[in-house]
Amino acid sequence: MFDFQTFIQLVVSGISVGMIYGVVAFGYQLTFATSRTLNFGQGEALMLGSLAGFTIMTQLASHLGIPMPLAYLLMLPLVLMFGMAQGAVVEWLGVRQAIKTKSEAGWIMATIALGIIFKNLAENIWGRDTFTFPAPLPDAAIQIGGIRILPMEVLIVCGALALMAAVELFNRRSIYGKAVVATSADIGAAGLMGVNTAQVITLSYALSSLTAAFAGVLVAPVTLTGASLGSALGLKAFAVAIIGGLTSGVGVVVGGVLLGITDRLTGYYISTGYQDVPGLVLLLLVLSFKPSGLFGKSAIKKV
Amino acid sequence: MLTVEKLVAGYGKVRVLHEISLDVQEGQLVTLIGSNGAGKTTTLRALSGMIKPESGSIRIGGAEIAGLESHLITRRGLAHSPEGRRVFPVLSVEDNLVMGAFTRLTGSRPKGDVKADLARMYELFPRLAERRLQLAGTLSGGEQQMLAMARALMLNPKVLLLDEPSMGLAPKLVEEVFSIVSRLKAAKVTMLLVEQFAAAALEVADFGYVLENGRIAASGPAERLKNDPAVRAAYLGAAH
Repeated sequence: MFDFQTFIQLVVSGISVGMIYGVVAFGYQLTFATSRTLNFGQGEALMLGSLAGFTIMTQLASHLGIPMPLAYLLMLPLVLMFGMAQGAVVEWLGVRQAIKTKSEAGWIMATIALGIIFKNLAENIWGRDTFTFPAPLPDAAIQIGGIRILPMEVLIVCGALALMAAVELFNRRSIYGKAVVATSADIGAAGLMGVNTAQVITLSYALSSLTAAFAGVLVAPVTLTGASLGSALGLKAFAVAIIGGLTSGVGVVVGGVLLGITDRLTGYYISTGYQDVPGLVLLLLVLSFKPSGLFGKSAIKKV
Repeated sequence: MLTVEKLVAGYGKVRVLHEISLDVQEGQLVTLIGSNGAGKTTTLRALSGMIKPESGSIRIGGAEIAGLESHLITRRGLAHSPEGRRVFPVLSVEDNLVMGAFTRLTGSRPKGDVKADLARMYELFPRLAERRLQLAGTLSGGEQQMLAMARALMLNPKVLLLDEPSMGLAPKLVEEVFSIVSRLKAAKVTMLLVEQFAAAALEVADFGYVLENGRIAASGPAERLKNDPAVRAAYLGAAH
C-alpha cells in the first residue's frame, strides 16, 4: 500500500541531496560563464574539500580539544580557502593554456586528468577507506508531523542557498563582481574596460572549486567521506547543470532538487540498483528536446 | 598624444595593415576614412590591443603600448568604443557606465569624481538618464551607441577611439551622434574617429587620413581633404 508519509520523507531527503547537486552544478556554471570551459574534476574538488575539512576538524578536536560544532565553524573558512587555491591550480595547469591556444578539447582532457591525479593523491594521503565525518549538529531528527528531518539536512539546504546568494550578491554589488558579469557577457569588451580577463577566469575557477569544497563539507556529515566520494557526485551535478541549463541559477536548484527526489523515490520504490536511471533518462530527454537546459538561454554554439 | 609608426597588423596570416603611420595631437579630432575593407576597424583594434600588431610602434604620450594586452592599454588611458557597440546586455545602463570607470574604481587610473562624471554623461546623453536602470540589452540601436560612447568616456581617456558611431542608425540619430562628437571636440577630448560617412566626418574633424587597402593613401587637414579632387571622387560622391 502507498504510504504517503514515507513518500514525503523520501522527498524531504531528496531535497537535501538535490541541493548538493545544485551547489556543485552552480560551480560548473561559474567557469562556463567566464570561459566556456568546465572543470570536469569538480567532483574531486568536492572530495578534496571534504577530506581536507575532515583532517582539519579532527586535528582541531584532538590537539586543541575544540568541541565539534565550533571546530566545524573554524574549519569552514580554511576549507573555502583551500578550495579556492585548488581551483586556481586547476585553471593554471589545465585550462589557461587551452584557452590561449583556442584549443577546443584541450581543457576537457586536462581537467579530467587533473581530477584523476587529485583522486590518486587523496588515496595516497587518506587511503581508500571511508571515514565518518564528525557531525557539527546533533544526529537526532526533528519530527514535524511524522516527518523526520535531520538538522544536517536543514543546514545543507540553508548553506547551499546562502552560498549561491553570496556569489550573486558579489556579482551584482561589487565592482569586481560586475567585471565577472561583464567578462561573461563579452570578454573582448571587458578587456577594453581594463578588466584583466585572464585573472577573472582564474577567479571563476577558484570560486567554482570553493563551492565544490563547501558542498563537500556539507554533504560529508550525512554520507561518509573518502577518496571515492567525488566521482558519483561530480557526474550527477554535471547532469544537473545540463538539465537545469549552464546559464541559469534557478535551473541548477530546480534541476538538483528534481534529480535528488527522483533518485530517492526510484531507490525506494523500484530498486537502489536503478537509482541513477531516471536522472540520466531526464538528461537524455533534455539533450534531445531542449539542449540549452530547462531554464537555460541558448548555450548552443553558433556555427 | 597618439603616435603610430609603421604599424603592421592582420588576422592570422592575412595581413590587413601595411606599415601605416598616423598622429593624433592632444585635443585634436582626427578622422580615418576609407571604403569597406580598407582596414579602418583593424587599425583601431590593433591600437587598443584587441588584436596583436605584428610590428610597428604605437605610443600614447610617449609611452609604447604596441603588443600589450587590451586591459593594460586601457590602463594607460586609451578608450575604444568598438565596432558593433559591444555594450554588456545583461548589465544595466548605469552598470555599463560604471564598468567604463573600472580602472578608476580599482586604482589603476586616477579616480577623480566618478559620480560627477556619471552625471555629466547623463547630461550629454539624456536618453541614457531615462533608461538608467534598464538592462542595456533592451535599448534601441541608437541608445546602445550612445551608451558605448558614454562608457568609453567614463575612462576619462587621454585618447578616445570611435569606430563607426553612426553605423546602422536612422539619419536623425546620425545627426545626433555627430553633434555629440562636435561637443566632445569643443571639450577638447582627443579623438580618432573612424567613419563611413566621410563627408560628415571631414566636416567635424581637424585632420584626416584616407586608408586604402591597408595603406595611408592621403592625409591632411580636413578642410584640404574635403576639397581634394581625388578624395572627393572616391569617397565623397558627386553630390558634394
